Amino acid sequence: MSASNATATNISRSEKRTLFRFLGLYTFLVVLILGLGSTIYYNLQKDLMLQTKRLELEEFSKELIDGLKLLHIYFDRYRTYPRNPLYRSAIYDADKVLIFSTLKDPKGVRLDKVIYTTPKHQIQYIHVLDSYYLGAKYVVVEIDEDRAWFYTAWRNILLGGGALLALFLVAGILLARLLVAPMKEAMSLLDRFIKDTTHELNTPVGAILSNIELIRPERLDSSTAKKIRRIEIAARTISNIYKDLTYLTLHHQIASDNQDVDMSALVHERIEYFRILAESKRITFQTDIAPRITLHIDASKAARLIDNLLSNAVKYNRRNGTIRVMLKEGELRVADTGIGMDETAAKEAFKRYKRFDTAVGGFGIGLNIVAMIAKEYGLRVEIVSQKGKGTEVIVQWRVS
Amino acid sequence: MARFLMLLIPLIVTAGPYRYNCVACHQRRNLSLEALFFDYLLKYSSERRVKAALYSFIKHPTKKKAVASEDVIKREGLMPQTTLNDTDLRKAINTYWEKYKVFGKIR
Ligand code: HEC
Repeated sequence: MSASNATATNISRSEKRTLFRFLGLYTFLVVLILGLGSTIYYNLQKDLMLQTKRLELEEFSKELIDGLKLLHIYFDRYRTYPRNPLYRSAIYDADKVLIFSTLKDPKGVRLDKVIYTTPKHQIQYIHVLDSYYLGAKYVVVEIDEDRAWFYTAWRNILLGGGALLALFLVAGILLARLLVAPMKEAMSLLDRFIKDTTHELNTPVGAILSNIELIRPERLDSSTAKKIRRIEIAARTISNIYKDLTYLTLHHQIASDNQDVDMSALVHERIEYFRILAESKRITFQTDIAPRITLHIDASKAARLIDNLLSNAVKYNRRNGTIRVMLKEGELRVADTGIGMDETAAKEAFKRYKRFDTAVGGFGIGLNIVAMIAKEYGLRVEIVSQKGKGTEVIVQWRVS
Repeated sequence: MARFLMLLIPLIVTAGPYRYNCVACHQRRNLSLEALFFDYLLKYSSERRVKAALYSFIKHPTKKKAVASEDVIKREGLMPQTTLNDTDLRKAINTYWEKYKVFGKIR
């Protein structure tokens, strides 16, 4: 069998999801590590730049302090602050009060640091004095920052980081493929197994059903007749499951044979088919089926749709309940008097393998098939449900 | 004598304890208050710390606290304990600070 059919598509979809999740996590970690590395590199480059500038700034501060010393000694005669066009400076007293400044912005000075860059791209160097000339304990020397280091650092981070990221991603994809390979194998094995088994089911189920039909109940004693009836119910249930599985595994390969299907007749026929199943739970049918309602659809798919609605209505009904089936132009309604669902369950109802109630058997793929067929033919499906009261499924189509 | 006093009174009133106490004695002994101020500034830096140190020294002068050179202390002796009361002393120190502080004087 080719890999392009329904279950295989689902497998590759879930496989892709796993792959993407793994890659997402992996990328996140890689970016985190690269980000960390880049930060360290950036700070290192910055420190390097500051270290080289520090020597220069220390020289400036020495010169400034000499000037302050002279000013301190001759303050009674001479009061001009020592200035140099190469740098700007400021002095602060022991209580960090500004004494004098030629800085551009003396407010942002951080006296507890040694050397740092300001947001306005200046480098400030703080020197703490031993003798407080003019009361100055802190001397701040400021020069403009040469931004060249910044641009080189960023260029290196972007280039190097980008290259590393690409490398890591390629490695990640290879790794992910390696991880997914065994899963893929297991999935395709399961897929093949389901398809083969489904195929094998056809003959025995058909044999049971056709043989039961040949039995004449009036020739049997009542106890045997009852048992035969139970066998028939079981066989029909299996047959239903078989048809659902076939639909799920093969519907992509079988072309739809669309024609105007007499829905009224089909609904009647399917109700008759399910009557025996319904009777086992003492469920009665109430029908309101308008005659000569047609729908342009593949007949077997229409049967799957109706079967699944009826099957669920039986499965999730209570004993002695009723099933109301209503067909009119553009609308089919199937309502049960069963356990019902709450809102979230109704939303989830179309999801495959989701059962209304874990206590009731069944594959829970019924509504999913309904949804698939509805999607193919543009039918609108609505579920109205009240917990404890029952569920009504409304299928609507446009009447041309 | 009366004329001398007449001259002295407005001086006392306007300049306060700094002038009639500190300056009076220091001028007589030819001890520059300005130079001493800058010694304090050199050692104590900020306004709060300089004032606190001055107060502590003038209240109880000791050799250990003194910033003046050994020579000066040998020649003049340690500065005698102040006769000013606390408020006047604080006033004197404030005047002293305002007179010699560098804030606003640097160009
Ligand atoms: C009676 C005289 C006298 C008066 C009054 C006086 N001083 Fe002095 N002062 C001295 C002498 C003598 C010294 C030098 C010896 C020394 O340093 O202790 C001195 C030293 C000082 C010093 C240096 C202290 C040091 O650490 O060595 C300061 C500052 C000072 N005086 C401030 C003042 C102030 C302010 C006042 C007013 C509140 C004042 N003096 C009043 C005699 C005086």
